Amino acid sequence: MAGAVTKVLTAGIGEANLRDLDVYRQRGGYKQWERAVRELKPADVLALCDTSGLRGRGGAGFPTGKKWSFLPGNDKPRYLVCNCDEAEPGTFKDHMLLEETPHLVLEGILLGSYGIGAHHAYIYIRGEFKRGYAIFMEALEAARKAGYVGKNLFGSGYDLEVTVHRGAGAYICGEETGLLNSLEGKRGEPRLKPPFPAVAGLYGMPTVVNNVETLAYLVPILEKGAEWFASVGTERSKGYKIVSISGHVQKPGNYEVALGTTARELIEIGGGLRPGRTFMAVQPGGGSSACIFEEHLDFPYDYESMTKAGSMLGSGAFVVFDDTTDFVKAAHNLVRFFAHESCGQCTPCREGGHWLEIVLERFVHDRGLMSDLEMMKRVSSTITGLNLCALGDSIEPFLKSVLLRFPGQFENRVMKETVGA
Amino acid sequence: MPFVALLERLRPQCEAIIAQYEDPRSALLPIMHLFQEHEGFVSPEAMRAGASMLDVTPAVVESTVSFYTLFFRRPVGKYVLQVCRGLSCSINGADEIMAHFRERLGVGPLQTTDDGLFSYEEVECLAACDRPTCMQVNLEFAYDLTPAAIDDMIAAMRGGTYPVAPMAQTQTPGKTWRVGQDGEVSTGHKTKGALEVESPNNAGGLGDKSGVIMLDRIVLRDAEFRGRTRERVVIEPPGAMRELANEEAR
Repeated sequence: MAGAVTKVLTAGIGEANLRDLDVYRQRGGYKQWERAVRELKPADVLALCDTSGLRGRGGAGFPTGKKWSFLPGNDKPRYLVCNCDEAEPGTFKDHMLLEETPHLVLEGILLGSYGIGAHHAYIYIRGEFKRGYAIFMEALEAARKAGYVGKNLFGSGYDLEVTVHRGAGAYICGEETGLLNSLEGKRGEPRLKPPFPAVAGLYGMPTVVNNVETLAYLVPILEKGAEWFASVGTERSKGYKIVSISGHVQKPGNYEVALGTTARELIEIGGGLRPGRTFMAVQPGGGSSACIFEEHLDFPYDYESMTKAGSMLGSGAFVVFDDTTDFVKAAHNLVRFFAHESCGQCTPCREGGHWLEIVLERFVHDRGLMSDLEMMKRVSSTITGLNLCALGDSIEPFLKSVLLRFPGQFENRVMKETVGA
Repeated sequence: MPFVALLERLRPQCEAIIAQYEDPRSALLPIMHLFQEHEGFVSPEAMRAGASMLDVTPAVVESTVSFYTLFFRRPVGKYVLQVCRGLSCSINGADEIMAHFRERLGVGPLQTTDDGLFSYEEVECLAACDRPTCMQVNLEFAYDLTPAAIDDMIAAMRGGTYPVAPMAQTQTPGKTWRVGQDGEVSTGHKTKGALEVESPNNAGGLGDKSGVIMLDRIVLRDAEFRGRTRERVVIEPPGAMRELANEEAR
């Protein structure tokens, strides 16, 4: 049912101590893992994943089953890497899953590894999540003792090892090839693609990198079936999604909804605007996405509709702005973020972000130039699409969307008199 | 404890970390985390030791370490305060929170107070946007900050009652110095109107005792600028260095 919160991955959070292995097991935890190893073939897990229509929940929205199917049929070792380097501005769902329900995260990793036939899985946890790391380590040790991780699992002869790796502060390590480099002990600089990780990933071997939430959904998909998942959502965006609602709403938080819930409903789910305030914009897919506006509020929140509205669903960070928002400052904030996080390999991203930040800083201090307004409208053609990874493409969508929508806010910050000449 | 002794104590742990990975170099970040945990920062000695354990050059280790913001290449305060400047916090009052911290601590971003107790930073989105303004103290979260809560927090840290363990501190953090208005700039430009220019000192690289600091965009600190702006200015603060030398002599 659209418009309502449905607890799938978030079930039990806040009610039970899901960090405790016994509590997790009482609620059916690790049953699917045991069933998969005992009764299913890896190909069965892949088929379930594929027919469920599950798409990547980390940002790109790529069909997960398809991503797995790109692995070559050779006998090289292959790896599953779980991406828990959550750092997209406005996103805080993986942080919650890691800390509140670590066994579900682990079970998802186990199922994913089995599905692709990996014997070694890695989870890359953002360096800032020191507490989450400790919680996950404890969960992993408990699961290892209980025989869910290790050698000859359930007597089947299948071995699976899980290694936890902590990052050290770099947004770009959320990009899958940057993550792999960081996991290899290098600077987290994205790689030139192709080859894609499926062909040459970690240590040059076939690798799948999946987001925490994506892998966690494997557990209910195995439990309730691919049809159950595919019956929810819209035509090409199936199932549920945890939406991180923040900004100018009264009850910010993580809410799990069926894809296709409208943007207007999401604002209501987040407690609505503060009294007396009017709606200005929503950034529907994290810091990398353009804003959507009043006329898009009845669009279903799914991958296709957000693209149609000129933005994207991204990681599911839903930041609401009311009429108190200074969009010049907001744009400066996000551009500064990307300039700060650029790894510096590609000139358009490294220089483009840096100079845009300087330009916007002028506007923040009421010293903008009229010519900069025009420049900012067309600057995307010299930045977007010209970089190794998507970070460079993320610098200006928000800026451009609010500049075109609220030009007055920017014009008011143009320097009144030109100093010198 | 001298570094050699620390290294010998940590060596078994380092070896256990290396054994977890198919390629030893993967252990670089975890080993540097381990040294930082014990030294309070990643010392040049730690980087050299890591290099020899992983069979790479020290330059490779330093290059890698410098890529990541959570590694400090310079001693820091006992409490590293990292306040979120992300968008969701920013539109919910983070500016006031950051201003309050700066005023109470008397230092700016990336600086350490003279008593060596606090290092202050303003960092990117910490993934806790539902409870703005958020921050981390030695990587433990604090949420829903208010000026009053900050005052209590700082008082508790000064009194040793704050419930987060202080950072290890094997060396005293460097002094923070300031370059006054109208300081001479090596390129011949003046820092006119640049208010006070401060030395960053815990990110590593910048603001060391060589007396040269690189500053981004000081012209934008409400500075007068004519025609074209100079976005990067290298300044040499001879006055500041004298001051520092005097202070150390005392």
